Amino acid sequence: MSVARRVNVGGRVTGAVKALATGLGLTWQVMLRPKVTVKYPIERLPVSNRFHGLLALPIDPETGKDLCIICFQCERVCPSRCIHIEAQGKGKERVLSRFDIEMDKCQYCGFCVEVCPTEAIVFVPHYESSTFDRSTLLYNLDELHRAAPKEPIATGIVGGAHRHNGHKNGTGDAGASRGLVPRERGGHAAPAHGDGAAAAGSSSSAGARR
Amino acid sequence: MALRTEELMLNMGPQHPSTHGVLRLVVTLDGENIVDVRPDIGYLHSSVEKMMEHRLYVQNVSLADRGMDYLTAMQNEQVYCLAVERLAGIEVPERGKYLRVIFDELQRLASHLVWLGTWGIDLGATTVFLWCFREREMILDLFEKVTGGRLHHAYFRIGGVYVDPPAGWTDEVKKFLDYFDDRVVEYDKLLTANPIFLARTKGVGVIGRREAIAMGASGPVGRASGIAMDVRKAEPYEVYDRMTFDVPVFTEGDCFARYQVRLEEMRQSSRIVGQALKELPGGEVRSRVPMTMKAPRGEVYARTESARGDLAIHLVSDGGEMPYRVKIRAPSFSNLYALSEMMRGWKIADVIAILGSIDIVLSDVDR
Repeated sequence: MSVARRVNVGGRVTGAVKALATGLGLTWQVMLRPKVTVKYPIERLPVSNRFHGLLALPIDPETGKDLCIICFQCERVCPSRCIHIEAQGKGKERVLSRFDIEMDKCQYCGFCVEVCPTEAIVFVPHYESSTFDRSTLLYNLDELHRAAPKEPIATGIVGGAHRHNGHKNGTGDAGASRGLVPRERGGHAAPAHGDGAAAAGSSSSAGARR
Repeated sequence: MALRTEELMLNMGPQHPSTHGVLRLVVTLDGENIVDVRPDIGYLHSSVEKMMEHRLYVQNVSLADRGMDYLTAMQNEQVYCLAVERLAGIEVPERGKYLRVIFDELQRLASHLVWLGTWGIDLGATTVFLWCFREREMILDLFEKVTGGRLHHAYFRIGGVYVDPPAGWTDEVKKFLDYFDDRVVEYDKLLTANPIFLARTKGVGVIGRREAIAMGASGPVGRASGIAMDVRKAEPYEVYDRMTFDVPVFTEGDCFARYQVRLEEMRQSSRIVGQALKELPGGEVRSRVPMTMKAPRGEVYARTESARGDLAIHLVSDGGEMPYRVKIRAPSFSNLYALSEMMRGWKIADVIAILGSIDIVLSDVDR
């Protein structure tokens, strides 16, 4: 009885040692591989072209006005009902008097960017919007203008109007059914890319709104 | 003089880090032995079913993302879109179907990786957590390139998916799959033969086939107890009927069997993604559906296989722009109720191992 038990224990010990050696050998191997972690606030990984960051209203460089045609589609489609639009005037004089986005309610689904017929509302690749004061998350028209990238269009997935500007997606005709074509953001246009550009990005977008 | 003994009621949670969310377990103990475990749920109730009744059919896709299981966002979108499409008779283009399958399976991989990593931490193995999250990060990056989101995508649309992946994306996925298959071998090597891991999981938390069926357990928990049921095979949706894959079934019903099922599912998911990428047809990814679509009066029951089990939606329409009633059949909920059956008779130290092995997500349990 005692002999049988001793044999059993011996088997278990060799098994444990073998398993330990395998496991530790593997972890040592992995330790020698290239590092995958980044020291986040110091280093940053670039985000993709289609990243759903903060929302912004770009200004048309030709006319100097915003591209919004006040069709209220984004306000209607927003599942969180966080977009509030008001307009003044009639006909050609019609201008936006209010365009508020409650960014604390926003769920970054991108439906507003999808339905916009003129690319008047876009995503900017800025994601650090935490704040101590909730009221700073209500972005009005001016702040949304300032958040917009300086280059003409710098958005990921956009609606119909500027489609002729060229798209580089794989199969070309893919989104044609609803006039939806993904366009890649110009490499230089993304403000929050990399660490060097991140500083510039935050000064133009988040810096502007404290 | 005889020593007086009595049962002890122990509260675990709702803030305990090992309950994977906000779950309170009321554990009745006799010394070290578990007499009974009663899960107390509802801390993460988000009322998503009711909220869906007040949103357009199109808007609900983004709700399904986060109101239900947050680790399998795409699979939630899948089941919701499937239900609406069946009710309204909307066709999905071939390419859309294949893309859906690809994203479903990548999401399953991501979800299983979270499970394996966090379960490793529960059992005291930190290494596997870091490794799993390293791979999951790659999957999230792949998602981000297509959908713009990492956790919540709002990518599926009624009638297809939002847009085509960018150029070169499929090659990146292929590269990732090659890399990933080697990593699964590593997890296997690290854990499956480890005596500490085996001692904590093998034969622990057994639930038999009959009990599992009675409790409504599905998915990996059910398949580890010998229930050979996978919705992807039993009731194929999208293009799963064209995919070749195996459904791992084990009969032991213990924690180790549940681990083996999920590990094999990772290999199979990788296989499915590979096939879908190879067969991926060209063409459109979505059919034309108006923003304010209306579903005809009626009701539909659509079921899918999520990473946690049989995820289904019962949708009732009164002919309007919004659903009249949405009932979500959450796999985590049923699997959680198999917990008491698994725990009875085991020691207090096994609570964490058993709870972790069923892979619950509390936002799925409470909805």
